[in-house]
Amino acid sequence: MISAPLFYGFSFFIIFFSLLVLLSANPIVAALSLAAAMVGVAGVFFALGAHFIAAVQVTVYAGAVMVLFVIVLMLFDLKRDESVSSALSRFLKIAVVGLILGLITGAVAMSGFDSSLQIFVHDPASITPTKKLATLLFEKYLFAFEVLGVLLLVIAIGVVSVSRIKGGTHAKS
Amino acid sequence: MSPLVSIVVLSVIVLTFGATLVALTSLIGPKTKQSKAKKMAYECGLTVPESEVSKVPIKFYLTAILFILFDIEIIFMYPWALVYKDFIAEGKGLYIFMSMAIFLLVFVFGLLWEIKSNALEWE
Amino acid sequence: MNQDAIIVTVNIIKMSVIFLLMVQLVPLLVWVERRGSAFIQNRFGPNRVGPLGLLQLLADAVKFAFKEEFVPEKSHKAFFYMAPVLALLPGVLAFGSIPLSIPFTLSGEGWTHTFPTQVFDLGIGIVFVLGVSSLGAYALLLAGWGSANKFSLFGALRASAQMISYELALGLSLVGILLCYGTFDFTEMIQAQQGPLSFTLFSKEYTIPFLPAWGIFYQPLGALLFFVSVFAETNRLPFDLPEAEAELVAGYHTEYGGLKMLMFYIGEYGHMMVASALMATFYFGGYTAPGLSVEGVQSFLTQSLGFESANAISMMTMLIFHLVLMTKVILFLWIFIWVRWTLPRFRYDQLMDLGWKTMLPWAIFNTIITALFILARGV
Repeated sequence: MISAPLFYGFSFFIIFFSLLVLLSANPIVAALSLAAAMVGVAGVFFALGAHFIAAVQVTVYAGAVMVLFVIVLMLFDLKRDESVSSALSRFLKIAVVGLILGLITGAVAMSGFDSSLQIFVHDPASITPTKKLATLLFEKYLFAFEVLGVLLLVIAIGVVSVSRIKGGTHAKS
Repeated sequence: MSPLVSIVVLSVIVLTFGATLVALTSLIGPKTKQSKAKKMAYECGLTVPESEVSKVPIKFYLTAILFILFDIEIIFMYPWALVYKDFIAEGKGLYIFMSMAIFLLVFVFGLLWEIKSNALEWE
Repeated sequence: MNQDAIIVTVNIIKMSVIFLLMVQLVPLLVWVERRGSAFIQNRFGPNRVGPLGLLQLLADAVKFAFKEEFVPEKSHKAFFYMAPVLALLPGVLAFGSIPLSIPFTLSGEGWTHTFPTQVFDLGIGIVFVLGVSSLGAYALLLAGWGSANKFSLFGALRASAQMISYELALGLSLVGILLCYGTFDFTEMIQAQQGPLSFTLFSKEYTIPFLPAWGIFYQPLGALLFFVSVFAETNRLPFDLPEAEAELVAGYHTEYGGLKMLMFYIGEYGHMMVASALMATFYFGGYTAPGLSVEGVQSFLTQSLGFESANAISMMTMLIFHLVLMTKVILFLWIFIWVRWTLPRFRYDQLMDLGWKTMLPWAIFNTIITALFILARGV
């Protein structure tokens, strides 16, 4: 049983870092905040009993995808871009964020929620959800799984081709 | 205590410990006169050039993105390893083996292609 | 105090002890490393402060604390301060999920509670450890980019590229052993390694009574691949390209000094301890040893040493099994140190070649062979 404080704590953690993603002028700060938000999402997954999904969320999103983002951002010279945002663009940013926030809050407020919802009940040390997930993956969604392998191959080939376009540092001579 | 609470509490303990150490250095370390040369980044004694544009090989980007792709494929092998024996016990051993064998075939093909096309070459 | 309060207190004490255990082992390890390197290179090493130079690290720590703080002018201050703090986190969190001994039972008036010896008992054990340690790249990247120094940045980029490359080999080398155990949970893995070694060859079962059923005998190739990849993950020689002093001064921590540099060291040694503990758990029976049973230890404690209180017996048994694990861990840590002073450094292209073109294919091969064996044996 995961208590409500933990859920709210993680929610505020995610919201805080998501806001930072939008509001920070430095792209590296934004990327790192997104990584922190991913870790927060993993925490919520964990609270819901999906331990494996939580670990995958950390490994793949926070540990791999965001590392790529950060590496790529560090390849650019970012120092000069820091002071470009004007008062107008800052206002626009905040306005957009406020609008989205308002929409979400409105949606939540209007839909109303059932306070007796028992989504948090699970056995913390249990591995059964992961086994269920694996069985589903290899029985019902086997075809999708195999196609995914091919898709990843296509992406790998695409990435290598793009990186060798003429004019790059490692262009084919 | 639920494991998630323990993780959060342990993280807080560690971060507090680290922050204390960092604060400690700036609090009790001696304060000496700062000069421009002293505050400069270390560059073997040379003056740091004003423009800090540096060219970084695209290899780092390529390695990172290929890592993501292979990482996703490897993550899929974990649930497979978890239920492998269960499937064999149910008599579906060949099925579960082949399902991963085909996936691995694509994986190995991708890896061989990367090696063949010199995408993993560092010079 | 009522039961819940005691349980919470014990849990918090457990957490602090495990954390302090890690932090306190670091000075000792640095001492072992310096004395060990001196021994290997026919020198004396630190031998002035305290007996055998054991207090050297205490002296160093005091000196670190009284060092002047240095922050480079153009650095990103927040990142510069954050990086060493974040470097501590992955090692400690990963170490927290590894069982250090058998669970211990405490009882008081009208209540009994069994505490596991890891901080958090997760069903997904190893996946959690992999996930947490994949976050280790951030501390390096933050340190490298935050110090606004070319050496730091290149050190960090190299370190992260190397870490992620070897993470693949690391992850894949474990699939074989997971196939054998069919679980992610460390405790279940250790339970699976009890009893004498037995295997099936051509539908005939052989048992070797003098060998324990440790994972190393089922997965020798996997163990080797795992051990090599953790060397690269911890950025130690022969894979310490990120801090190759001839090329990059000191890599990502060029601009760091004093306690902040010490924290990077704690992070690195923490990684080593996690790797050693994982190695022991996966391939060498964890906290168990052949011939050592819980009942045997308990009867030894009651009959030979005269322990009477049930709480004390439980705690002492836990401690003895913990010492078994620590012996194994210290053995692996010594191998880490030994290798550092024996092998020369790789060149960067050789390092990447080894990771992608040698270790990864062998890990795939290992996985397929293991799967085939298990399939042929039929569980």
